[in-house]
Amino acid sequence: MPWNDIIVQGLKNWDTSLIAYVPDVSIDRVTSLIADDPYFHLVSATREEEAVGIAVGAYATGRNAAVFMQSSGFGNSVNAIASLCIPARTPIPIFLNLRGGPGEFNIAQVPMGRAVRPILDTLGLVHFTLEDERNMDKIVDGAIKLCHANRQPVAICLTQLLHGGKLA
Amino acid sequence: MLRFDATQLLLRYAADYPIVSNLGPTTDELWHAGHRDRNFYTYGNMGLCSSIALGMALSTDQPVISLDGDGSLLMNLGAIASIGREQPPNLIVVVWDNEQWGQTGHQASHTAFGTDLEKVAQSCSIPQTATVDNLEDLEGVFQKALQTPGPWFIVAKITEGEYLPVAPIEPEMTLYRFRESFGVSGV
Repeated sequence: MPWNDIIVQGLKNWDTSLIAYVPDVSIDRVTSLIADDPYFHLVSATREEEAVGIAVGAYATGRNAAVFMQSSGFGNSVNAIASLCIPARTPIPIFLNLRGGPGEFNIAQVPMGRAVRPILDTLGLVHFTLEDERNMDKIVDGAIKLCHANRQPVAICLTQLLHGGKLA
Repeated sequence: MLRFDATQLLLRYAADYPIVSNLGPTTDELWHAGHRDRNFYTYGNMGLCSSIALGMALSTDQPVISLDGDGSLLMNLGAIASIGREQPPNLIVVVWDNEQWGQTGHQASHTAFGTDLEKVAQSCSIPQTATVDNLEDLEGVFQKALQTPGPWFIVAKITEGEYLPVAPIEPEMTLYRFRESFGVSGV
């Protein structure tokens, strides 16, 4: 199963039907599937912290939710994660396109892309990095399970090695 | 119009509908006006009050009330555009507009210099909007908002009163109580 279908199936396995996101050209290969699937309600946010707030609101009323963003936008969302998700213990899976790795062509994407995982570590949040589709179904499913068991966000970092990235 | 008086007024009509409160005095005053399981207090994440309420409104058929503030909403004006895009008929945003960042020393906010949040909402395709500056008008428009499909965006011009004691800061319990009230496991 292709990586984008694996993510869609993982979300369905965990009854995660509200997806808030900020568009990204690589993640579009997932969010375009979500947009066309009536199982989901895909909400377009203007900024990543807004997407986090929308997802928390859905979860509060009993609907599982996830967010999608690029690593640059993760920087915009850090305070929302740190001051809302973590203190309230909200299990929101964060799927992010991790820029700044092998194949990166844009110097402006490198600093934030490289800082994502250290920031997640500093916040004490679990994260997984996917570079190919081997065992990906188990990792995505397991990551969302862990997310709910720990009642904290979990980040699933999707790399250019996995999805082919954005061409210069 | 004092925010606390206005909060008490809204609670008289809010039944057990979900209410999300902006951080600081709005959360404190909601707690003192009437603590209830359906109050989703926020203690940080400035700017996200109405975004949280949007996520709720898209996930329940009940009316959802956001008690936001001018300073916080100015930090996340995009939230208004997203509400306009989604058009949730059950969302009522009330903005306590004191034209200042009260908690940080009463510095003037942009609404003191001509920014009109109701016009922003109108330009974002929010169909039901109002600006009120007294309890009687607030009561009338809020009753109408509960009976008429929205989304609604109500700017309530307020003056600052004495700050009440800080509400208990318990984000995890807030979420727990709130979810339990929807019949889902709090944990």
